[in-house]
Amino acid sequence: MKHSLDNHCPECNAANRLHARFCTQCGALLKKNGQDSPRVRHKLLRRTDFMAAARANRTATRRLITLLMMILAILGYLLGWSLQLLMGVLPDNLQSIWFLSHWGVWGALGLFVFGAVWSWVAFSQGDRIVLRLTGAREVSADDEPVFHNVVEEMAIAAGISRPRLFVIETGALNAFATGMNPARSAIGVTRGLLESLNREELQGVVGHEMGHIVNWDIRYATAVGVIVGLIALVSDGALRSLYFSGKSRNSGKGGSGVAFLMLALIAFAALAPLFAFLVQMAVSRQREFLADATSVRLTRHPEGLIAALQKLAASTESFKGANRATQHMFIVNPFRNFTERTSRMTATHPPLALRINRLSNLGGD
Amino acid sequence: MAVFGWVIVAIIVGIPLLGVALYNKLVGLRNQVKNAWRQIDVQLKRRHDLIPNLVEVVKDYMSYEQETLEKVIQARNQAVSASTPEAAIAAEGILGGAMGKLFALMENYPDLKANENVSRLMEELSATENKISFSRQFYNDSVMSLNNAVESFPSNFVAGMFGFSHATYFEVPETETVTPKVDLR
Repeated sequence: MKHSLDNHCPECNAANRLHARFCTQCGALLKKNGQDSPRVRHKLLRRTDFMAAARANRTATRRLITLLMMILAILGYLLGWSLQLLMGVLPDNLQSIWFLSHWGVWGALGLFVFGAVWSWVAFSQGDRIVLRLTGAREVSADDEPVFHNVVEEMAIAAGISRPRLFVIETGALNAFATGMNPARSAIGVTRGLLESLNREELQGVVGHEMGHIVNWDIRYATAVGVIVGLIALVSDGALRSLYFSGKSRNSGKGGSGVAFLMLALIAFAALAPLFAFLVQMAVSRQREFLADATSVRLTRHPEGLIAALQKLAASTESFKGANRATQHMFIVNPFRNFTERTSRMTATHPPLALRINRLSNLGGD
Repeated sequence: MAVFGWVIVAIIVGIPLLGVALYNKLVGLRNQVKNAWRQIDVQLKRRHDLIPNLVEVVKDYMSYEQETLEKVIQARNQAVSASTPEAAIAAEGILGGAMGKLFALMENYPDLKANENVSRLMEELSATENKISFSRQFYNDSVMSLNNAVESFPSNFVAGMFGFSHATYFEVPETETVTPKVDLR
């Protein structure tokens, strides 16, 4: 194949980064970039290994937290520094606006500590926050005997203790899992799902969520959810401070300093959502395929999950309970932007048709 | 020769550490196998507890099927009183077959399925049947992990030293793999 700017996946025809080794959409090996070397093959193998998936998720969570703290520290410095410029509290021998700002150091320290506290909250309360955000209600074995039994069956098949059960009262069809580790996890489904799926289909969906639990996807996804929520909060704050700084402009000293400050704040206000977006993109679509495969490994019955995904694809009911911070946690994206080509880069999930296709291949006969 | 010395130190420290890690992994796998076996027992016990209830409820509706009900109860009692694992496996196999036949027959009684008590018991029993097969599946998965560790390098050395042995797979009894035949007359 000649080298060109075109890098479409041979399997699903998705557009890819020029030197990507794997398709962003379906995870297929892009031969012309990757060459089928032993290293690449090893990497592919790891993608279906549960222990490796769990390890990778723990590492990814650690990296995410470190990155968050670093970015917060830099932001804190920038904020303190620009505030010092704005208020005109400057050192005597000021030569340029690039001075070591004391306010900046305090800002960096402050936001760093804030980030540490927030990470602690994400780890100790993350699942509770997510459950609150989705509006799910805990149900007992007496309320939903079939759901309870199906979850217990899948927990036995996966060899973990039974996750807590939650139901979201909506007609839309969806399901999610959250928690910080397999011992403390929760599975939530919508009322619509319980009503329109039969036992085998429900088993497939619960198996998929159990897959997210045993692969430790839930830890990473929950941390991402809570942190994206935080970024949204901070970027809102930046926008607001931008608004107020515009009002109190006359107190500034040098015109260039104020202009620079405005630029910095605008840049931050623009960058924060971008960062949130990137974090969400980091929620690999590969995880969905792996969870589908885990579901089949647990149920030994691909037909149930296939039928369930077909019903989910056919459902048109919209789901109001999801937001940016939790959308990646559901079995199908609640915003339903996954059907068309628009989703190539932004989707948190692979297209349903592709997932169904892969499951049919797993079925074999 | 300082580098050489450090290499020696690394080997002397590293090998026991690796040994400890492998030993702990083997212990974890062995306990998982034991635990998985117990899980099967828990589910079988639950099946034994549920069956008399079900028979009690359905016997008024299924008066023509006394023979089947008798067989289920008999198989259940035999399974409960089995003393050796081999006898238990065989008895559970027979019980599984009898249950399958009963479930299939119950399809012929619409008013039976409409009964709230029966449908609740049916759900419990079919969930228990599923749990039994899922716990066997997990047991076999665990056995596979343990056997892999016992056989593969380098954990086979540690396994040999500390007497970790293979575990045996749970083979599904012949009688259970045969789908129950329903005589429709």
